[in-house]
Amino acid sequence: MTVSRRDFLKASAAAAAFAAAGASALNPLRPKDADAASTSGLTWGKAPCRFCGTGCGVLVGVKDGKIVATKGDPQAPVNKGLNCIKGYFLSKILYGKDRLTKPLIRKGNRMVEASWDEAMNLIAAKFKESIAKHGPNSVAIYGSGQWTIADGYAAAKLFKGGIGTNNVEANARLCMASAVVGFMTTFGSDEPMGCYDDLDLGDTYILWGANMAECHPVLFSRLIDNRLRNPKVKIVDFGTRFTRTSQMANQYVKFAPQSDLALLNAIAHVIVKEKLYDQGFINKHVVFKKGKEKIGYGLEDKFKFADDPKPMTFEEYQAFLKPYTPEYASKVSGVPAKTIVEIARLYADKSRKVCSLWTMGVNEHSRGSWVNNLIYNVHLLTGKICRPGENPMSLTGQPSACGTAREVGTFTHRLPADMVVTNPEHREKAARIWGVDPHKIPDKPSYHTVEMFRALDRGDIRCMWIQCTNPFQSMPNLNRYRKGARKEGRFIVVSDIYPNRTTEQADVILPTASWVEKEGMWGNAERRTHHFHKLVNAPGEGRSDLAQLIDFAHRMGYGHLFPYKHPEKEIWEEYRKFGEGQGKDLAPYESYVKARGLRWPVVNGKETRWRYVEGHDPYVKAGEGIKFYKNKATNYKAVIWARPYEPPAEIPDKQYPFWLCTGRVLEHWHTATMTGRVMELKRANPNAVCEMHPEDAKRLGIKNRDKVRVSSRRGSVVLTVDLNGRGKSERGNLFVPFFDETKLINELCIDAYCPLSGEPDFKKCAVRVEKA
Amino acid sequence: MAIETPTTGITRRRFLKNGVAVPLALALAGGSISTLFLRRADARGFYLRPPGALEESRFLAACVKCGKCAQACPNNSIRMAGAEAGIGIGTPHIIARETPCYLCPDLPCVKACPSGALDKTLTEVEKVRMGTAVIVDREACLSIRGLRCEVCYRECPLIDKAITIEPRHNERTGTHTIMEPVIHRDKCVGCGICEHACVREKPVIVVIKSPPEQKDSYEF
Repeated sequence: MTVSRRDFLKASAAAAAFAAAGASALNPLRPKDADAASTSGLTWGKAPCRFCGTGCGVLVGVKDGKIVATKGDPQAPVNKGLNCIKGYFLSKILYGKDRLTKPLIRKGNRMVEASWDEAMNLIAAKFKESIAKHGPNSVAIYGSGQWTIADGYAAAKLFKGGIGTNNVEANARLCMASAVVGFMTTFGSDEPMGCYDDLDLGDTYILWGANMAECHPVLFSRLIDNRLRNPKVKIVDFGTRFTRTSQMANQYVKFAPQSDLALLNAIAHVIVKEKLYDQGFINKHVVFKKGKEKIGYGLEDKFKFADDPKPMTFEEYQAFLKPYTPEYASKVSGVPAKTIVEIARLYADKSRKVCSLWTMGVNEHSRGSWVNNLIYNVHLLTGKICRPGENPMSLTGQPSACGTAREVGTFTHRLPADMVVTNPEHREKAARIWGVDPHKIPDKPSYHTVEMFRALDRGDIRCMWIQCTNPFQSMPNLNRYRKGARKEGRFIVVSDIYPNRTTEQADVILPTASWVEKEGMWGNAERRTHHFHKLVNAPGEGRSDLAQLIDFAHRMGYGHLFPYKHPEKEIWEEYRKFGEGQGKDLAPYESYVKARGLRWPVVNGKETRWRYVEGHDPYVKAGEGIKFYKNKATNYKAVIWARPYEPPAEIPDKQYPFWLCTGRVLEHWHTATMTGRVMELKRANPNAVCEMHPEDAKRLGIKNRDKVRVSSRRGSVVLTVDLNGRGKSERGNLFVPFFDETKLINELCIDAYCPLSGEPDFKKCAVRVEKA
Repeated sequence: MAIETPTTGITRRRFLKNGVAVPLALALAGGSISTLFLRRADARGFYLRPPGALEESRFLAACVKCGKCAQACPNNSIRMAGAEAGIGIGTPHIIARETPCYLCPDLPCVKACPSGALDKTLTEVEKVRMGTAVIVDREACLSIRGLRCEVCYRECPLIDKAITIEPRHNERTGTHTIMEPVIHRDKCVGCGICEHACVREKPVIVVIKSPPEQKDSYEF
């Protein structure tokens, strides 16, 4: 550890604005905790948890420049002192034995230690050379929903406003892009109207493709508690796999992969047919539209799609729904028609407050944007939206998928605060705030993530900088993209904290500061923006992503765009101008230093729990009730979309007779680069296994714990079969988690994506299984 | 409740007395006689025997210490006891915290046993009774403290049978659930996967010798 006692004291004094009892009026540490802290020699600071999108608050105990303890923050409204088992081990994730501490440069097959100066000069030279020879669109940056807001902001400003390329993407494309398109097309503004309070206040929860029990552990604990306190509460889990969530739900409804499209339309069909809709709400707040159909799967390079929305009447929408009878949907999905009718009536029951909750089953879907639209349709038909306890709520998987990727807009087509590069006014505004020439920002999006890695494979992109994510484990159709990255003439820079499947592809590896080794801000799934101070130094020569980007900007000749003394703070104040008066208002920097997060829009120091509704959202005037004020184009109404059922890109056949679904487990996060370094978590769940239905196994002569080879048209991997594990696959389905770096299951996944969102479908492709 | 792990329950003195001198003297007289004079392994602690093992004293009498069960184990879960086991020296056992029994569906260890110390009539893994898991330290169990752990439950090969989750309101936060893992003795096979997986430094869930059935009514 290189941090001196003096530095440490300085840092933590500045850091823990609340460390001394009563230092802050908003959310001070309880005096009792502060006393305990001073006697044990520990200094406590606050931070959001490093892992998922829930955004639990934790207290970080620091001693002698090292994190020695973490605990759930009792004052954090999200988790009130609790954690899941990953959060419990937070203090260990930064101290794995193989932590990267020095810049490394590739020399043939070896990575050789270098100075920061050598590494950064090499990167700048390579990027400059590529831009000179092949234009600005030959360089790219690929970041993540774990970037801090300042990291993402700096990357977007430098690449879009400085270098002049829209080659800015983030791994949130792989998990949230369909949700974003859903929000934008239905409401004209990204992110939920509701918040986690809905988990306490509603009485009916319909889950679509979400394993909350394992993937949002603390929120699930909150949801179940609502049921413990209120016997009326009913939880229905729609899924293609029986999970720990299904186990605790009141009702588990299994459906065939992709048939959610038919099911949600059939639910709307019943609501319309039985006249269970809220005519008053529809008249006031809803318009109807249809878009293109038979929209393809993006399997071919340079696939292009643009929707062509057409208005329709309620009558036309009813005619569209006509074929989606419960009987039809039952045939497609395997769900009894009776159940579909029951769920429709449950959604419409006037005595019930209904929430829909969903995650990757919906988003990672070749029609993911449509499924998001279809869920909103049901809420808009029944008018169950924007009120406490009744909202559709899209859950997120990364600590700042919302805060950074979606709000800052680190996507090829985006600018901060819901703005897009194709709109000249938006470019103008961005250029003004950034202090650049508006013509510098290209008016066309370039590549979304899958196309970006295809461009790298083809050679259209030569230089790529990857920060804070592990695409060479997490991309679908991995073989192609792994090979592409190692082709002649490619230059890959990877900023990370441990060696992983992406650093092994790198030409330069930059050791990076993580989590509370730097200052940062993140935004969780309920629009809550958290701030955390730098509490310790990164080991060795590690530097933050932000510091790396600013250093790079200077070497590229864009130093003038980053004239900051305290970059994190000044970037925040600059960034905040984008959302001001736009319904995306953020508070001054100091407010977040004190608070355990604030939910935007924050107007006059007051956060907003429910958007678009009078009495909660300051943008809705008295007497307006509900107003979707971000949808100017439709006269401030939300859109019900006619979106049909269409089959998936690849369907099991004789040669590849099984569906493969991938996903997460509670013990590990993403590709386990952090949790895999925690011995306890590794021991608890060491390797990915292949879940299979016992009858399928029996038919193939496979016994529990046998080794099997699972293969798709794109790759194959050997796994241990688990017939009685935590998840029970339905007949004809397999499930394999993607955390295990020794079993690259994503080699099997198809790189088909939703044409509207560009988000790939990690949940369905065709595979076969044989004994290995 | 004190649970001694088999590797630590012996002093050097006792080792010399029981572990070497006496067994050596009696080795020729055969295992069955020695059991009359010596304390059995399970009197000091508890040895997790492979699936199908007979009751401990009968097991000790029957086992010929050939090591075939250990050879047959694909997970290297079964190891042969050293001198610390006293009379049990050379007998097969499992240290769950290190490598538990993964319950192979065809029970290769049982099939390999030539002596009948592992009962060949056992063919179904759900009928295995090596011991039973118990939570020995409720104070230290993270799930009972309200954290979302439940690793033992999710890793249990008899999930929802041998271990279930009993949710109850968390009074401290007022808005969360305590998801308590509850072990069902009639279903638990004692494989030790939970003990192995427990994330605490000292596992709060361990396998103990199955106690005799205790009824609700007092009978004499």
